[in-house]
Amino acid sequence: MGKILEHHSKQLIGQAGVPVPKNGVAGTSEQAAKLCEQLGKPVVLKALVPVGKRGKAGAVKFADTAEEAREQAQILLNMTVSHFPVEQILVEEKLEIAKELYISITIDKNRQMPVIIASTEGGVEIETLAAEHPDKVVIEHVDPLYGLAGYKTKEIWSRLGLDDRLLLRAGEVTGKLYEAFLRYDCYLLEVNPLVITKAGELMAAATVMAVDDSAMFRQKELEGKVEVGSERAWRPLTELERQIIAVNDADYRGTARYTEMDGGEIGFMCGGGGGSLLSFDALVDLGGRPANYTETGGNPSEEKVYGLTRGILSKPGVKGLFVAHNITNNTQIDVMAKGIVRALAEMGVDPKTFPVVVREAGVNDTLGKQIFTEAGVEYYGEDVTICEAAATMLQRMRSAYPDLY
Amino acid sequence: MAILIGQDSRIVIQGITGREASMVTQHTLQYGTKVLAGVTPGKKGQDVHGVPVYNTVREAVEAHQVNTSLIVVPPAFALDAVREAIDNGIKVIVVTTENIPQLDTVKMLHLAKLHDVRIIGPNTVGLINPNDRVKLGSIGGDNPERCFVPGHVGVISRSGGMTAETSWMVKRAGFGVSTSVGIGGDALIGTTIRDLLELFELDPDTHAVVTFSEPGTMFEEQAADFVKNGGFTKPLISYIAGRFTEQMPEGTIFGHAGALISGSVGRPSGKAARLREAGAHVVDRYDELIEVLQHVLAAKEAK
Repeated sequence: MGKILEHHSKQLIGQAGVPVPKNGVAGTSEQAAKLCEQLGKPVVLKALVPVGKRGKAGAVKFADTAEEAREQAQILLNMTVSHFPVEQILVEEKLEIAKELYISITIDKNRQMPVIIASTEGGVEIETLAAEHPDKVVIEHVDPLYGLAGYKTKEIWSRLGLDDRLLLRAGEVTGKLYEAFLRYDCYLLEVNPLVITKAGELMAAATVMAVDDSAMFRQKELEGKVEVGSERAWRPLTELERQIIAVNDADYRGTARYTEMDGGEIGFMCGGGGGSLLSFDALVDLGGRPANYTETGGNPSEEKVYGLTRGILSKPGVKGLFVAHNITNNTQIDVMAKGIVRALAEMGVDPKTFPVVVREAGVNDTLGKQIFTEAGVEYYGEDVTICEAAATMLQRMRSAYPDLY
Repeated sequence: MAILIGQDSRIVIQGITGREASMVTQHTLQYGTKVLAGVTPGKKGQDVHGVPVYNTVREAVEAHQVNTSLIVVPPAFALDAVREAIDNGIKVIVVTTENIPQLDTVKMLHLAKLHDVRIIGPNTVGLINPNDRVKLGSIGGDNPERCFVPGHVGVISRSGGMTAETSWMVKRAGFGVSTSVGIGGDALIGTTIRDLLELFELDPDTHAVVTFSEPGTMFEEQAADFVKNGGFTKPLISYIAGRFTEQMPEGTIFGHAGALISGSVGRPSGKAARLREAGAHVVDRYDELIEVLQHVLAAKEAK
């Protein structure tokens, strides 16, 4: 899943034929004031950060004049919202609101089909509303082969009590949003609120869009608009994380994913999606503090293994390395061994004083064992379980650093 | 017996001439599994390790009456490959492809349901039946015997690699597997844990089932309900990895794409509680699988 910032999502939704407020993007308070002047009316200023609930976080401000816009923009630009420093602001015309609606489209993972959620009580959190006033929420699943019939778009809003011209407009907007959802391979498309202005027009006042990064090969239009790596982090990517994304992207073979933890001493070089989860749990259960999370596998090249290991070891405070993997189906243990041993050597790590425990079994593990053992690394194969290897790692940490562990 | 695949499986591999598919074909043949045909449009008349290649599934069905397909094609072609298989009457389809756009996945799963076709995956390592020496997918690599020996334990895993490791734990406990299935690492898959429990219940050769799970999805919760309602009556032993993710900020993905925790849905602790309540043996440490399995199967033997 990749998040799309609001100025981009508004542009895309606008292109799909759904009216959006006039807006512009400001990187300085000066630009914000200018935009307010150009719009010639009161404005809303929103921090452009890839996190939800910005209103609650105080990252949405209002201004009636250019001078106020300058002040409010400065406040926003000094803010950090959920670890994301505010670097840009969306400045848009403030709407004259008569009523607020809610609409979102996503995939219902349990029913395995798209679902439209609509309500005539917009502007609030839909989870709360669905719990407290289920009668004010309509949930409509869409058959992915049959598609969304035009009458359904009107049925949704008629069930919620809309009528007359507004019913037709809301139906039309719903159809266009669904088209946009499909066209841009969205994970989520939410408009909250979908405002009915005092002039009786519908406007997508606040939009949230997240797209399927698996579909990027057919989404040239979204290039440069998706927040890279936004699904794996709860804060902006760290320098090390960026480095390892580059390592991963340099070669199509296998995967190397890395998430930096706060603190920790054990470098975590594990593999298999499930194997990594298990290995991390095993260390934590025994009182270990991994310095990072990692997932490698899918038969990575030596260069990728090397780059990943180097990255793991280069984090300040790392005092040991735990290497574990489920028994592999295709990942070659000798290739893993070459990459890891090379990184250890080049980083000047001596396994005699710096604890390194390896549990790697599977394809070519006889050769892999030889490479690890010759480099002086403590190696275990399939005769030892991942949990047993984690226990050994903790023992080595305890004897090497009695003050720490 | 086993589930889903056996001696009656007449296998075709779609996308057989690709690098990955060619290697899988070689390993599959070496294991003793019969692969009757391969399909790659425009490559009719070639062969891959002796398996004849056809342009279309239709031709493969006409020549070999294939009924089971392994799909090893790039993400952009996966939906069409599944369509082709379904339109030609294939009833069991294993989709190995990772990173298929979810809108395509939704369509293929929907089509399969309409036509009563069983899809395993997408994003799966495949499945294996060691008794009949039939495997579909990269499962077991070049040495399936290492982890998969014939026996009476069913294995279901949301992680491909852990399908092997968990089957190896079964072997370490002194048993073997009837069928081991990697169900795929995505949240949108054709055959869930619950669906497989239903099949294992009907298989007289399966005496117990071991599952390996991860955070995210409702698969374990659905399985728990199924057990609770009497749909599965054999011993069920479950391990759920990724408890540490509950301490991390919400919305972060660790492990597979399906492993996304949102709100209280998908938390390992919640899954464990639901499964325990339904009567499953949930182990907190993965290694406990061995002991529990020995205990449970010994008790069953004694009956």
